[in-house]
Amino acid sequence: MRIAFTLSLFREYLANYIKTKLTYRADFWVEVLSDLMFSAMNLIFIFVVFTHTPSLGDWSEAEVVFVYGYFMIPYGIFSTFSNLWNFSERYITKGEMDRILTRPANSLAQVMLENVDPPSLIGSFVGLGIMGVAWGRLGLPFHWYDPLVLIVMVLGSVLIYLGLYTALAAISFYSDAPTGIGPLIYNIQNYGRYPIQIYNKGIRFLLTWLLPFAFVGVYPASFFLERHADRTMAWLTPVVGLIVGAIGLIVWNSGVKRYRGAGS
Amino acid sequence: MLAIDVNQLRKQFKVQKNREGLKGAMLDLFKREHTEVTAVKDISFQIPQGEICGYIGENGAGKSTTIKMLTGILVPTSGRILVNGYVPYKEREEFVRGIGVVFGQRSQLWWDIGVIESFRLLRKVYRVDEADFKRRLDELVETLQLQDLLNRPVRKLSLGQRMRCELVAALLHQPSILFLDEPTIGLDIVVKTEIREFLKRLNRDHGTTILLTTHDLQDIEALCSRVIMLDDGRIIYDGGLEELKERWGKGREVQFQFTDPISLDAVSSLTSGLDVRWTKENEVTAKVWIPRELNVSDVLSRVVGSAAEISDIKIFETNTDEIVREIYRTGSPEAKEAVRG
Repeated sequence: MRIAFTLSLFREYLANYIKTKLTYRADFWVEVLSDLMFSAMNLIFIFVVFTHTPSLGDWSEAEVVFVYGYFMIPYGIFSTFSNLWNFSERYITKGEMDRILTRPANSLAQVMLENVDPPSLIGSFVGLGIMGVAWGRLGLPFHWYDPLVLIVMVLGSVLIYLGLYTALAAISFYSDAPTGIGPLIYNIQNYGRYPIQIYNKGIRFLLTWLLPFAFVGVYPASFFLERHADRTMAWLTPVVGLIVGAIGLIVWNSGVKRYRGAGS
Repeated sequence: MLAIDVNQLRKQFKVQKNREGLKGAMLDLFKREHTEVTAVKDISFQIPQGEICGYIGENGAGKSTTIKMLTGILVPTSGRILVNGYVPYKEREEFVRGIGVVFGQRSQLWWDIGVIESFRLLRKVYRVDEADFKRRLDELVETLQLQDLLNRPVRKLSLGQRMRCELVAALLHQPSILFLDEPTIGLDIVVKTEIREFLKRLNRDHGTTILLTTHDLQDIEALCSRVIMLDDGRIIYDGGLEELKERWGKGREVQFQFTDPISLDAVSSLTSGLDVRWTKENEVTAKVWIPRELNVSDVLSRVVGSAAEISDIKIFETNTDEIVREIYRTGSPEAKEAVRG
């Protein structure tokens, strides 16, 4: 019931988003273009690296691209629904959270819906395409259950991102000023999109167990990669997703109770 | 039945000190240094259904903090609140469906889309039935004359137009209590009057309980049967507006205009023995201040009965603005006597 209601709200908010964007069409295309260019840059970076070396710690170019393609799918979905980068400034400092809290719907859902960003979803499709091409180049076998597994893995990865960034956004409830931790996490996140086996032990541990960004990249993707298949870690993806998602929700809910408003 | 029941309500804020730099930020993440500020200090009041109550006080007196606790935005440090039978912060989502909130300095509406689109979205959020929504919207649009504004984006509305739309947005779900935080701030006198009339009508026709904070005492005079005055987190007055004037009115002033030039000594001698104070306005005009205990007629008869010829007399009642300013200035109404003496 509650979830059905929230989903029906999603449709309404999306309609509003489209109406808004129709008034600023140029914005929409600029955003799509810049998203795509950002992804292209990252791909080019991979290609450039591999012009200097045939493999990176046992990983071939196609495999690295495959992992990157996978990463783009959950990342695109996450960016669509959880555009919380300016949460602290807009909702806490400017006090827009007041408005959210006087409305009869889940506060986190409202904040997420108010910031939906559908153009980011295009990145997911591009990622799917990249994965497909790499799949062919690697000559991987295709099983009937692969698409289903992919969906489960992507959901798990999205939950990890949602949980981490929700918790991060909720930190603003506890502290007055932005703590500068956002950019830090964002930079760490970027390491998750490459095979973590190429990093040293410390970073591997960090990306697996502390800030589990490796579950939004190499671990779930490895399910499909024959040479690097690691089923245990792959299947941990949805589990870690549920745990991190729950943590995010808990931090948010207790954070909202500490919200203190702004201004007079 | 009580619409709002507040008991020993207290709100403390921890104000943190921020350390510098990224290292400081990281340290701050784990260990904070705080100072405590008490914004609302154990206040209690009850508001019955259908009442319009004004909530006044200086900036920083704790008005907004109280309103935010009453609307479920803030969680109180201690004390008991019951609004509409709910504890606001506990069953927030259920509770807010029965209240309307207008913050004068903040918008409920979506900035870039037509006003009507915002209303439709709010209809969904509040789960208002389509037929009810239509009836309600028609009624509100009619009374507030918004017909021409409905399709304009909010960012193109004037403040007065926006404020009227905000009222509609807060009332679409037919709340039984309406909270207004400075609803007339920055509005011109015409719009102010319109909004006051609208609120009165809302209260009369639908029995909506209204609690409003304001700095414009004319809002209070036009609307409220009751005033709660706050200073430094405590209630310093709770009662009727008339009583407030009665108790803390500073007396009256009478202005005499004489036909011939007068001197201050001359007019003062007319009322010798009475505790009054004369001031001279110009050559032919003088004002006398009469404390509340004294009858105006006593003073009048002395002056009128004298040899001086009078061309005009005006009597000034102290207005609420002055009373409130005086109370704000002295910090508490008890200090009043001393000031008067």
